[in-house]
Amino acid sequence: MTGEDGLPDGPLTLEGTCPSCGAPVGAGDSFCESCGTELTPPMVSTAPPGYLAECPVCSVDPEVPPSVITAEGYCESCGRKVPSGRDHSELDLGLLAGVTDRGLRHTRNEDAMALAAADAPGGPVAIAVVCDGVSTSPRPDDASLAAAQASVRALLTSARRGDDLAEASLAAVYSAHQALAGISSPGQAPSATYISAVIGSDAVTVCWLGDSRAYWLSTGPDTARLSTDDSLAEEMIARSAMSEAEALASPQAHVITRWLGADLADPEPHVIRFEPPGPGVVLVCSDGLWNYRPEAAGLAELALPGALTDALGAAAELVKFALDAGGMDNITVVLAPFPLAPFPEELPHTKTVPVRRQATLPRRTPP
Amino acid sequence: MTESGFTVDVDQNQYLSEGGREVSAIVTVATAADAAGLASPGPAGAEADGSAEIIIIDCSGSMEYPHTKIAEARAATAAAVDVVRDGVMFAVIAGTNLAWPVFPVDGSMARADAASRAAAKQAVASLRAGGGTAIGQWLELARQTFARYPARLRHAILLTDGKNQHESPEQLAAAVRQCEGVFSCDCRGVGTDWEVKELRTISTALLGSVDIVPDPSGLAADFAAMMQSAMGKQVADVVLRVWTPQHATVKFVKQVAPTVDDLTGRRTLSGPQAGDYPTGAWGPGESRDYHVGVEVTPAGVGQEMLAARVSLVAQSPSGTDVLGQGLVRAIWTDDEALSTKINPRVAHYTGQAELAAAIQDGLEARKQGDEETATAKLGRAVTLAHQSGNEDTAKLLAKVVDVVDVETGTVRLKKQVDDADEMALDTRSTKTVRARK
Repeated sequence: MTGEDGLPDGPLTLEGTCPSCGAPVGAGDSFCESCGTELTPPMVSTAPPGYLAECPVCSVDPEVPPSVITAEGYCESCGRKVPSGRDHSELDLGLLAGVTDRGLRHTRNEDAMALAAADAPGGPVAIAVVCDGVSTSPRPDDASLAAAQASVRALLTSARRGDDLAEASLAAVYSAHQALAGISSPGQAPSATYISAVIGSDAVTVCWLGDSRAYWLSTGPDTARLSTDDSLAEEMIARSAMSEAEALASPQAHVITRWLGADLADPEPHVIRFEPPGPGVVLVCSDGLWNYRPEAAGLAELALPGALTDALGAAAELVKFALDAGGMDNITVVLAPFPLAPFPEELPHTKTVPVRRQATLPRRTPP
Repeated sequence: MTESGFTVDVDQNQYLSEGGREVSAIVTVATAADAAGLASPGPAGAEADGSAEIIIIDCSGSMEYPHTKIAEARAATAAAVDVVRDGVMFAVIAGTNLAWPVFPVDGSMARADAASRAAAKQAVASLRAGGGTAIGQWLELARQTFARYPARLRHAILLTDGKNQHESPEQLAAAVRQCEGVFSCDCRGVGTDWEVKELRTISTALLGSVDIVPDPSGLAADFAAMMQSAMGKQVADVVLRVWTPQHATVKFVKQVAPTVDDLTGRRTLSGPQAGDYPTGAWGPGESRDYHVGVEVTPAGVGQEMLAARVSLVAQSPSGTDVLGQGLVRAIWTDDEALSTKINPRVAHYTGQAELAAAIQDGLEARKQGDEETATAKLGRAVTLAHQSGNEDTAKLLAKVVDVVDVETGTVRLKKQVDDADEMALDTRSTKTVRARK
């Protein structure tokens, strides 16, 4: 099998150890998770051509019967044209919007986002789930998508019922965990980071495992990071062993200490409830963004004031910022302006982009 | 042409302005020119999946006045029998206030060959007129007769010269309902004493044509032509299956060429988001246009949606067979040059449907003595007929009104109008001219 560019499809790396630091790496890894050394030559996406296998709007709603995507790329349920492939997709649900992108150096997008908006009894609720597939686990792209979708379905059902959102968030992690168990096999445990944010009329409930993050961005002093990373870097900072800058620069910075996967029976997710003191924006993102701008104030500077009125446009701007800064990892950005807008009457917006672009780095001839 | 021998083409302006909900498209269904190219096991033979034909002849007393009516009806039936292909099951039924089998006399159906055709013609030759008119009874006997034989294509020709006087409209309507989906029926009215609306109701429900044969001497040629067309049909029970997205509504589905036939109310649910509209049977070299209107929930500017998927589906005991498919799209744009563009074929057929309605409403008003409405409606019809190049209809209109000015639709009702001309205008009001692509 060869792709359109004449290169073989699929990963080229052998399973084994990183030639640079000796850490274990999996077949299909593009980069060493420990030291960041590039393991495979960059090439065009190995994702199958064509459209997403599921409608990003309908597939997250448990009240909509499961639908398929036609050969022409339309959802059999809502009729919308769905994005083509996971390389780059955009989703605007009115209350919140998100953009996910493969980045410049990875061969595929292992991030997944799942968004939903509920017209709940107590007013509109916006739900965002972002998962970043763990590259050292098998099928990280399937893991992130399965976890995000299972979680958002559970959260949407809970939000519509008016359930307690902290409990619902923990239950959603359980659903995502079950979904990963469903795609794992003995000795094979697909894994992903996990973060959910459920935004209601007066508070934001955030629940996470790993190093995908949530921020509260405003023009005031209340701007803050809402989540703490489950990473060696964060632990070192917490133990005051290193400064933040030192920790992030260390080769172990991105080694995560908790995640979502069938191999972690009791992942013990964190849950917090945050009451915004005024207007602002909730940002949920993968490390593909925050690697380039970790501080909340810096991100607020980039996102505001645009994100208050045009969440999709601001999310696209943040993704562009990460790409311009190097695009070393997959990038996912979800923004929800607070207070929430009224529940929209228009259908959600999904962007259909063919293959966005090819890898910009020169390719090596495969062996 | 596709493997099935059917093609489905969609013509529309897919661009909507921001917040736009109405999507309108012309769907053209055409079949391969030669019989061999059509998907169905071609020319229907004598087997269980073959054709069945019944000719229903009015034998009420009025058929004797003038005497040529019953004589020409006998001759026309004989002419139609001559066209029935070998192997096709056929029968002839006579109708008055009762209905009875003329051939075969035991109420069965005969397999067509030289001998059975001769026997049928002999039986028909002895038909005499006398009695009333109860068309529901005739249809009911035809239905029972058809039901005795499995056949893929069931078709009837119904001839009458009078109104349905010897049963209630409800009885007729009930009989028509029973026959829907069992067989198709072409209706002909001879003379001018029958009711256009009555026959049109039957022919529409039974997916057939309706026309006037003012002079009995024209019957034989007309019957032979109808039977010829019926013998050409190969694919039976074809439906338009219209899928629409969630939260969308089908506003209408109309056949608009060769005649206007509103199928909107004929929808039967065929899935959670799909409905079937009957189109009847198809033969080689046919082309029909359908106007489909859908209301969708708007999406944002730049978004694209599948507003409808129109599939042509043949249903048979062995299952359903998709013969062709067309997609109706919606794309929201803020470019007014795109969204305000009128699709010429949608516009043309919207005009043709209005033309048919204007004629029928105008003639009805004229009958009721409402000259003002009649003049306005028929005047509008004159303008529409000329604008769209529907010359046949324009000629028929000119026999009912004096045209003062075509552009403004200024007309005067003629004082003396031949009944046959008025009925011809009424029955043929639904005939449309094709829009060029």
